[in-house]
Amino acid sequence: MASGFALTADHLIKDFGAKRAVDGVDIAVPEGSIYGILGPNGAGKTTTLRMLLGIIDPDSGTRELLGTTRPRSVSDRVGYLPEERGLYPGMKSRDAIAFMGALRGLPWAEGRARADDMLADAGLGHAAGDKIKKLSKGMAQFVQLLGSIVHRPELIVLDEPFSGLDPVNQERLEALILAERDRGATILFSTHIMGHAERLCDRLAIIAGGKLRYEGSVAEARATMPIQAHYTPREDSPALAKLLPPEAARDNGGYVFDVPDSGMEALLATLLECGHGVAGLSLERPSLHDVFVKLVGEETVEKMEAEAEAEAKMEAGA
Amino acid sequence: MTSHFRQAAVIARRDFIATVATPAFLMFLLAPLFMLMFALVGGTGARMIADSGDDAQRLVILADADYAARIEAADARIRPTFPLGIAPPALERRSPVHDVSGAGTEAEARALFSDSGVDVAAVLYGSPDAPRLLIGSGSDRYADYLALLAETAARDVRSGVPPGDAVTEITREPFERTSATIGGQQSLGFTALFLLFLLTLLLAGQTVSVLAEEKGNKVIEILAAAVPLEAVFLGKLIGLFGVALLFIAFWGGIAMIGLAAVPDSRATMVAFDPAIGFGPFLALGVLYFAMGYLLLGAVFLAVGGQANSMREIQMLSLPITFFQMGMFGLASAAAASPGSGLALFAELFPFSSPFAMVAKGASDPALWPHLAAIAWQLLWVSITIALGARWFRKGVLKSGPSVFRRLGQALRGKAA
Repeated sequence: MASGFALTADHLIKDFGAKRAVDGVDIAVPEGSIYGILGPNGAGKTTTLRMLLGIIDPDSGTRELLGTTRPRSVSDRVGYLPEERGLYPGMKSRDAIAFMGALRGLPWAEGRARADDMLADAGLGHAAGDKIKKLSKGMAQFVQLLGSIVHRPELIVLDEPFSGLDPVNQERLEALILAERDRGATILFSTHIMGHAERLCDRLAIIAGGKLRYEGSVAEARATMPIQAHYTPREDSPALAKLLPPEAARDNGGYVFDVPDSGMEALLATLLECGHGVAGLSLERPSLHDVFVKLVGEETVEKMEAEAEAEAKMEAGA
Repeated sequence: MTSHFRQAAVIARRDFIATVATPAFLMFLLAPLFMLMFALVGGTGARMIADSGDDAQRLVILADADYAARIEAADARIRPTFPLGIAPPALERRSPVHDVSGAGTEAEARALFSDSGVDVAAVLYGSPDAPRLLIGSGSDRYADYLALLAETAARDVRSGVPPGDAVTEITREPFERTSATIGGQQSLGFTALFLLFLLTLLLAGQTVSVLAEEKGNKVIEILAAAVPLEAVFLGKLIGLFGVALLFIAFWGGIAMIGLAAVPDSRATMVAFDPAIGFGPFLALGVLYFAMGYLLLGAVFLAVGGQANSMREIQMLSLPITFFQMGMFGLASAAAASPGSGLALFAELFPFSSPFAMVAKGASDPALWPHLAAIAWQLLWVSITIALGARWFRKGVLKSGPSVFRRLGQALRGKAA
C-alpha cells in the first residue's frame, strides 16, 4: 500500500433505525502493526469492523482496505474472526481450518497440511482429527482462529478474540498475534479488556457510544495525562497541604497529585526546607485504564469491569 | 465471477459431503424403499380385506342342468376378459326344487338372498327362452353380466351349438407394435410430470431448512465475511442439488436395471415411446428437473433464510407445499389439454414450465420449444437466484426478529 496503511476509515457513520451505532469514526491502521479498538460492549466496535470489512456498508464515510475502496474484492487477503464464534460441529478440526482456507482460495490439500502444522504449533496437534463438537469451547475457538489465518492473510481482523478464552489460551493467543505480526501481517482486534490492548497494541482507538474518543499509540494515550506523584511525608501537618498542588488528595497516609508542569524538583526542595521530609515518593505514569476512565467515564468502566468479571466467572464455570 | 463460482463450489462441496457422509443420508436414500414396503403391506392388507368381502359374493344360477351348463360355458369364455381384480363375483349353480317355469322357483330365488352362507348379488332363473333376473341392491353391474351370460346361452340354444363350443374358429396372430399410441404417450407425459413434481416436492423442499444450520451455529458470519452471500446462496443450492442428483441416479439406475430384467420390456414400452424419442426425453427430464429444482429451491432457500427458528421453518413448509401442488395442478391441466391457452400459460409460467414442458415432450415431436423453454427457465433461474440472494443478504445478517415475526408484530399493532 502506497500510503503505508493497511486500512483507513474516514468518518464512518452507521444507523440502525433511529439508533446511531457508529458516529463518525476515523481510523488508520499502519501496515505491519497491531492495532486495537477498545471500548465497552455496545460501543460500536463490531459494527465498525463489519463496515471496514465490507460485510455491511456504511451510511456515509469512506474506507480503504489493502489499497482498495471495495473491501470485498480483497477478502482473500484478509482473515476475520467474528465476535460470534461458529463452526460446523460435525467437521474435524483439520477440515474446519482447511474449509475456511478454501473459502479464501487456499487449495484443500494445502489447507489440511497447514492445519496440521498450525495445530501442532499451538499444542493442539492431538485434536486435528477430532470433530468440533468433541472439543472444549476454548479449543474450538482456537481452531476457528487458526482457520481465519490459515491462508496467511496480509490483514487479520479479530473481533473480541480473547473473549471466552481461559488464561492459558489467552496467553497462547497473544503469542500467536505477535507471531503473525512478525510474519508481516497487520493485526486489528477489538477488545474490552485493557490489559491485552496495553500489552499488544502499537496503536489503538477508543470508541464509546459510537464515537471515537482517542486514536494514537498507547504511549501517546498515556501521555495525554500527567504523571502522578505519590508522596508520604515524614512530618505531616495541616500546613503541608498548602505547599502541595491544590488537587492533591489523601492516599494511604500520604498524598497523590499530578506532577506540576515545572517538575518535582522545586516542590521537593520546598517540602524539605519546611521540614516535612520524604518518607516515600513514587512517580507513576497513568495506565491505559486511567486514560480510558478519563475518556469514557468511571460508570462505563465499572460496568465493563463487571461484565468482564461475569464473563470470567462463566468461563471458569464452563 | 470465477471467484464467486470457486467459492460457491467450496460451499457446495462442504454441504454435499456433510449431507451424504452421514447415516441419516442412508435413511433418506432408502426412504422410497420404506414407502414401497409400507405400500405393499398396506395394499396387501387392504386387498385381503376387500377379497374376503368379494369372496363371499355370488352370482347364482337357479336352472336345470342343461341351461346351467350353457351359462357356465358362457362364463368360462367371457370371465377371462376381465382385468385382474374387477371380475364379477363367482358363479354358483343351484338346482331348483320346483319346476323352473313355476312360481315356486321365484320364491326359491328370493329365499337365496336370506342365505347367511354367502352374499347373493343376483339370481338368474327360468329357462333360455324366458330368463329372469332377481337383482340385489347395488348389484346392477353384476346383473348386467348375468344378463350377458343369459343372452349368450340363448343364442347358443337357438343356433344349436353345444355348450362351450365356438361357432367359428378364430385365427390369432400376434403383432408387434412398432409405433407409440396416443394414450401411451399421454400416460408417459403425465407419469413424467408426476415424477418431476414428486421429486421436486421431496428434494427441493429440503432447501427451506438448509440455512438453519448456519444460523444456528453462527457460521453464517464467517461465510458472509469470506465470500459474497450470492456465492453462499448458490453453493447451498448446488450442494443440495448434487444430493438430489445422487438420489435420482441411484433410483433411476435401479429402475433401469429392473426394466432391463423384464422380458419383452422393449415391446411393451413401444406404446409409450415419447414423440421425441426415449434418449432426448430422458435428457430433457433431467434438465427440467434441474430447472424446477433450482427455481423452486432458490425460492425456498430465500424464504428459509428469513426464518430464525425451526418452528418458523415448519410453518413455512405448508404454504410452500401448497404452492408446489398448485404448480402440479396447473401443469396437469395443461397436459390434459395440449395446445390450449391454459397449456401455453403453464408452459410459460416459470414455476410450472418444467412440469408442463416435460409432459409436452411425450407427445410433441418438436424439439425447438424445449430449447426455448430451457433458455427461458434458465433466465428465470438466474433472476430467482439473484433476487433470492439479495433478499437473503438483507435478512440473514440482521439481528432481532425475522421478517415473518416483524410482519406479525406489525399486523397485531394495526389490529390494536
